[in-house]
Amino acid sequence: MSTERTPRTDKELWQSLAAERGVPFGAVSDLDLASWLEGRLPEVAVARIEAAVAADPELRRAALDLAEILGAPVPAAPGRMTVRAQALIGFEAARPALRGGWLDRLFPSGPRHAFQRAAMVAMSIVVAGVGFVVGGGLGQSFAQQTYNGEVSGTATVSTSNELTDYFAGDEI
Amino acid sequence: MTELNQIDLQTLATGNKRAWDVFVGAAAPLINAVVRRTLSSYRLGEDDVLDAAQDVFVRLCAQDFRLLKTYDPARAGLGTWLAVVARSAAVDHVRRRRQATQALDDVPESFLAVEDRHVEKLKIPQGLLTARQTLILKCLYDEERDVAEVARLLKIDAQTVRSTHHKALLRLRAHFGEEAP
Repeated sequence: MSTERTPRTDKELWQSLAAERGVPFGAVSDLDLASWLEGRLPEVAVARIEAAVAADPELRRAALDLAEILGAPVPAAPGRMTVRAQALIGFEAARPALRGGWLDRLFPSGPRHAFQRAAMVAMSIVVAGVGFVVGGGLGQSFAQQTYNGEVSGTATVSTSNELTDYFAGDEI
Repeated sequence: MTELNQIDLQTLATGNKRAWDVFVGAAAPLINAVVRRTLSSYRLGEDDVLDAAQDVFVRLCAQDFRLLKTYDPARAGLGTWLAVVARSAAVDHVRRRRQATQALDDVPESFLAVEDRHVEKLKIPQGLLTARQTLILKCLYDEERDVAEVARLLKIDAQTVRSTHHKALLRLRAHFGEEAP
């Protein structure tokens, strides 16, 4: 029986070995990875990214998939995907305008709204004035208050006299 | 249709609705392709593809376009950077979905596989192979990709991949006293 070992294939040899992980490579940012995928990184940075990609299976698969996708034409996206994404900004942009509360919406700031503010103030003055006139004005209000005071005073005196007469009748 | 490299990023980052709509129209095909590819091995449905793609767009415009503002055109093309962001968002989407209930049958076998740690592997000393040599061997043997795919990843020609692979194996065989077959 021969004790000679059959030479292993390249793959068998590789799979029997474990690559040293070495020092941690640090996080690879999205921009670093994108730059490396485009071959734009300087030589020193390339070695760091390649070591990180070699050490991290998830990153390696991502890089291989992305290189494949970016190297070929991509099909059109479903219409629903585009419509949903476009709707994001309509809502997002509307939100900051609503944040100021009802008073800010009623009196928006900025030079474009100067006329609107002036019109609102003028309208408020007119409404208040008309309301005051319809209500009889300051003179009628004072007259009404005076009259009420007099009527109230008469009633009190009259009641007091009736009580005095009652007690006098009983000789108390 | 507007190309991605024609997008006015400054206007886009102000929240301009029209600029956003143009951007979405230009970016959606690439984001769709990346998300679909990432989710393909997880047997997730069309709704998940749409949700994951929406996650990408939400990330881009969230907090007053904070992520989009980190993009630097001097360092990478917008399409490449978007593809990386989309891949990352899609992976996060899958992780969130897997944290929710998932039938065991729906989990790909590769995720359930357990590495046989009883086999003691000889360690390759640090510095024996360059980072590129290690990466090429891992892509060819661990990921089982072909030479053309590795060449496309590293932006080098296929012949360079073969020669780098050959030199790496020569070094390994010399170090571990292995004969070539």
